[in-house]
Amino acid sequence: MTEEKWTVKFVIFRKKGDQPPRYDSYVLEVDPDEYVIDGVERIWAFHDRSLIFAHACHHSTCGACGMRVNDVEKLTCITKIRDVTTNGGSLKIEPLRNFPIIGDLVVDMTRMYAAMDRVHAKAVHPLSAAPLEGEGIRPPKDVPRNNGDEYLRLADCIECGLCISACPVAGTAENYLGPAVLAAAQLQGLKHNPDLLDLVDCADGLWRCHSAYECTAVCPSNVDPGWRIMDLRRQVVGERIKRWFVKA
Amino acid sequence: MSKLHAIVIGAGFTGVAIAHDLALRGFAVTVVERGPIVNGTSGRTHGLLHSGARYAVNDQESAIECIQENQILRLIVPDAIEPNGGLFIGITDEDMAYREKFIEGCAACRIPIKELTPQEALRLEPNLNPKLQTAFTVPDGTFDPLRLALAFAASAKSNGAVFHLYTDVVDLLTDGQGNIVGVKAWDRATDKRFEIRGDIVVNATGAWVGHITSMAGISVPITPTPGVMVAYDQRLTQRAINLLNKPGDGDIVLPQRRMMVVGTTSFTIEDPDYVPVYEDHVQLMIERGSNLIPALRQTKERGAYMATRPLIGASAPGRSISRTFKAYDHKETDNVEGLVTITGGKATTLRLMAEKTVDLICKKFNLNIPCTTAETPLLSYRKFYVN
Amino acid sequence: MDTPKKPNTRGILDWFDPRGRNVGGWGFIINRLSAIGLTVYLYLHLYMLGKLAQGPEAFDAFIETAKQPAIMFGEMLVIIAGLYHGLNGLRIALNSFGIAVPAQRQLLYGVVGITLIGTVVFGVRMLTAH
Repeated sequence: MTEEKWTVKFVIFRKKGDQPPRYDSYVLEVDPDEYVIDGVERIWAFHDRSLIFAHACHHSTCGACGMRVNDVEKLTCITKIRDVTTNGGSLKIEPLRNFPIIGDLVVDMTRMYAAMDRVHAKAVHPLSAAPLEGEGIRPPKDVPRNNGDEYLRLADCIECGLCISACPVAGTAENYLGPAVLAAAQLQGLKHNPDLLDLVDCADGLWRCHSAYECTAVCPSNVDPGWRIMDLRRQVVGERIKRWFVKA
Repeated sequence: MSKLHAIVIGAGFTGVAIAHDLALRGFAVTVVERGPIVNGTSGRTHGLLHSGARYAVNDQESAIECIQENQILRLIVPDAIEPNGGLFIGITDEDMAYREKFIEGCAACRIPIKELTPQEALRLEPNLNPKLQTAFTVPDGTFDPLRLALAFAASAKSNGAVFHLYTDVVDLLTDGQGNIVGVKAWDRATDKRFEIRGDIVVNATGAWVGHITSMAGISVPITPTPGVMVAYDQRLTQRAINLLNKPGDGDIVLPQRRMMVVGTTSFTIEDPDYVPVYEDHVQLMIERGSNLIPALRQTKERGAYMATRPLIGASAPGRSISRTFKAYDHKETDNVEGLVTITGGKATTLRLMAEKTVDLICKKFNLNIPCTTAETPLLSYRKFYVN
Repeated sequence: MDTPKKPNTRGILDWFDPRGRNVGGWGFIINRLSAIGLTVYLYLHLYMLGKLAQGPEAFDAFIETAKQPAIMFGEMLVIIAGLYHGLNGLRIALNSFGIAVPAQRQLLYGVVGITLIGTVVFGVRMLTAH
């Protein structure tokens, strides 16, 4: 960080109850190395106390502060202002798409949480379930242990909803499970969770995906849902072929 | 018989835990929170599930609370916790001078510790400062702040609690004699104003308790004490790493998901509504953090943030104030009926804070209902959204 | 809190909004456009085949109009759409067996490249044939 100061215009999506939406502008002096959420919180603190927005941990572990920043889904607590605008530039801040709006920048992500529950996605899992480095590749072979026990860690997926907002088909298919959910199913594996097969192998499951890979592009947390959906397809095809032979 | 109605102001850790406890003990509960769940201090916590060892020398009351609550939370809310333990490492001779007091303090507070040789410690955590002279294992953990709070909120909701999020308390309702009978609320999601009446109002607004009590003309001795924390883009250890010395700035580094989080600093302020993240504090975190884990210097910053602790007591230096908590019945302290304030404490003791507060409320109403939160597993955090 | 049920989406319009989207997103947009184009073409094609049933005169007259530049340009679009949609289908089928997913972007560049080459080859043939 430096002593540098930028002037940035925040253009914020506003909506209250049944009233029609509008955009309000606020010009702020910011340090370019501040994060977008810091600017939004200052607008609430010093300019407009009626603004509502979701946030909690401010360091990308909780997934609450997802918004659309200049048309791209961002976790605003780890998005530096420097990386998304210029001195004298503007920042358009809008709520995530494909979820109902509660007000202003806040959306209701029940759709995603309900689907995560349906695939019984784990919030905490063994270190070996997902590698710490690299994108969407298989679990590492050599995993350290804690005196014989496995280390546990919080899952990579922080359920921020960015992938569902960025997905071009999630808006026209309300019952589509969505990238985060399919990724959670893949992480558990069909081999050990055969009950997931019928849930994901259907029109609103992994065949709804049209391979735009926007989920992977916006994921702030190394989940790589695009790769995981494709890998899940491979698992489903394998599992279906296996069942033919087992039945016959 | 109709249920007693409690209004809880604030959905931070204390507020959600109180809502859960009240609902379990048969109250009708309404929670009013001006933002989303844990948007203030609680959400922005470091995320350390304390073993209590940090306080075992200077603040044994807090230390004992921590170790007991640590063991309870592991059982009732496992899906918000990385239970991998922690290490206290001594590097300098000054750290080593603290060793004896640390061992005695942990024994006095019944915190299970085990001393390791430097070689053993480095085998467990290869990224530690290789100059370390000793290390102790402690039962620390890491938690996800939002999911911890949501688990309490979800359980409260399943027992009938109603949550008004994005709703400010703009004033307290009085009966004309100065006693509190409810709150005036402003729902900012729909821009609607309304009143909620209840039998008791619980002020669980942490560093902001003074904002609420001032509406009743009461002041509470609270010192908002912010600290800065910095997250780095790689997971370098599996355990929480603490410096073996008396509590200071930047002496805890802990893993969370794929990150390391270093904290914290300590300074006092007047208004906790917005506190900037100071650049020199961020620099201090990397200095102090890399003393414990040198590889942090080569790791990219992922986020920097600030949280305001509500410390009890006025105008004392931050680190010397006890980290325990206090519940005030304003009938006793200020002769105002209908308002209870709870503040202080820390994330690890959220359940206990709620237990003591609800005990006090039950006593006020001459109810003899025991607390069962220590034995009641919490619902999944997702159940807050999904019925 | 009363939550509204309608999701925040512009529906089909969002399929075609390229703002802020990445390479894969553009691949999806072109895929959708080519699919719609080919579907429209299918009906035109059926209409043309219908002319056959009306006898040789009607068909000859149709062939005359088909030689107009605008129609020929349209035919070029059909070729582009057909090539792109078919090749992109192969890309996604490959990916769907878990093959070369991390290389989806490079595969898409390949799909576009082959489509362009195919278009040039067909364009030259079409112009020299007339």
